[in-house]
Amino acid sequence: MSRQAVRIAMIVLALLGLGIAAYTTYVHYAGIKPACTAGESCTKVQTSVYSELAGVPVALMGLIGYVAILGSLLVRETENTRFATLVLTLGGFGFSAYLTYRELFSIHAICEWCVTSAVIMTVLMLLSVWRFLRAEDKPPTTVDPAGATQSTSATVADSGY
Amino acid sequence: MGNQDTELTRKQRREQARAERKTQEEASAARSAQRKRLIQLGGAAVVIVIIIAIILVATGTGGSKNAPAPKSAAANAASTEVIRLLQGIPQSANTLGSPSAPVTMQYFGDLECPVCKEFTLGALQGLIQKDVKTGKLKIEYHSMQTATREQETFRNQQVAALAAGKQNRMWDYIELFYHEQGEEGSGYVTASYLQGLAAQIPGLNLSDWSSARNETAFNDKVTSDAQAANQAGFTGTPSFLIGKTGGAPQKYEYSSLTDPSGFESAIEKAAKG
Repeated sequence: MSRQAVRIAMIVLALLGLGIAAYTTYVHYAGIKPACTAGESCTKVQTSVYSELAGVPVALMGLIGYVAILGSLLVRETENTRFATLVLTLGGFGFSAYLTYRELFSIHAICEWCVTSAVIMTVLMLLSVWRFLRAEDKPPTTVDPAGATQSTSATVADSGY
Repeated sequence: MGNQDTELTRKQRREQARAERKTQEEASAARSAQRKRLIQLGGAAVVIVIIIAIILVATGTGGSKNAPAPKSAAANAASTEVIRLLQGIPQSANTLGSPSAPVTMQYFGDLECPVCKEFTLGALQGLIQKDVKTGKLKIEYHSMQTATREQETFRNQQVAALAAGKQNRMWDYIELFYHEQGEEGSGYVTASYLQGLAAQIPGLNLSDWSSARNETAFNDKVTSDAQAANQAGFTGTPSFLIGKTGGAPQKYEYSSLTDPSGFESAIEKAAKG
């Protein structure tokens, strides 16, 4: 898979996650029942004490997280932006794992919106690890007018797509 | 001719050596960069794990680490609150409220479930004050195992509550259990914990309560509650059925466990229907 294809896939996933987080944030503030095929499970999760952390809805935290991930994917790619995406998706994955633990062992109900978001975040994390570790640092070679082979100062990885 | 061949070979050798050196340098730089990335990845992962562990510890389990000891200040406070809440409300077995109340709500819960605690200390208080005390609603408590990990513990605690119900004090027991709920999975529900709750209920004959805990009818009730929950298609606790007394109850899907207004609308609808 090319790096360009990976980045596009990640942008699509981040947009999907953003949509889910926006919907669950809206549901939280509007105080309405979320659409759910599993009966009252989603409501149970979304109205539980674990739906907020230090007074901030976890859905809103997800929304901010996806916006940040999307931002790190849309800016000109450098080693730093790849690392930023990696840190954000690792954080998102860890937080999703914590929320899934709460669903399974504290709330005893599964919210399909949360599970879908957790799956998206897991795939994003795996892709960002792959993207970060597979980054090409080999300097591209150019030929100067005198015919001597030399390296440019910028790396391929830093050149952006 | 021979010298020219030797000269070309030397030139080729030098180029070859230079190419090899360049390849080695590039490989070394790539290895170094990869090592740096792995360290960064590991560092980020460790920081994230630490942050999540802090969140996990800070948010706890929704219950107190330890249930308050009998006769402690916390237990006395809970006891006073429960007595005040239930004062003057008729109780019979698992039912709280007037037998002639036009609407019945069935509450399926697990005494160790922190979300049930949230409801019991939240919306339920309002419903008891506004609808049960005024005779509009009666509430039946049914057990459904979710949070309690061990089947034997689940039966023991539920039978202890049902045994208090034999003296029309089951709701005192349930309310006290939720008020003093300990940390989920911490094994706080012991024989002395169950005994301690019973000792906090004014007017409960402890000797009769202890004897009643051996009655098979209460074990059968736990089994029939599980069947009823299964039949209703419930997957978690708390879950509710609300309907006109004597009629066919409907599943009630709540939008809030702390605000009773949604429950009240369903109760009014059931009373009319």
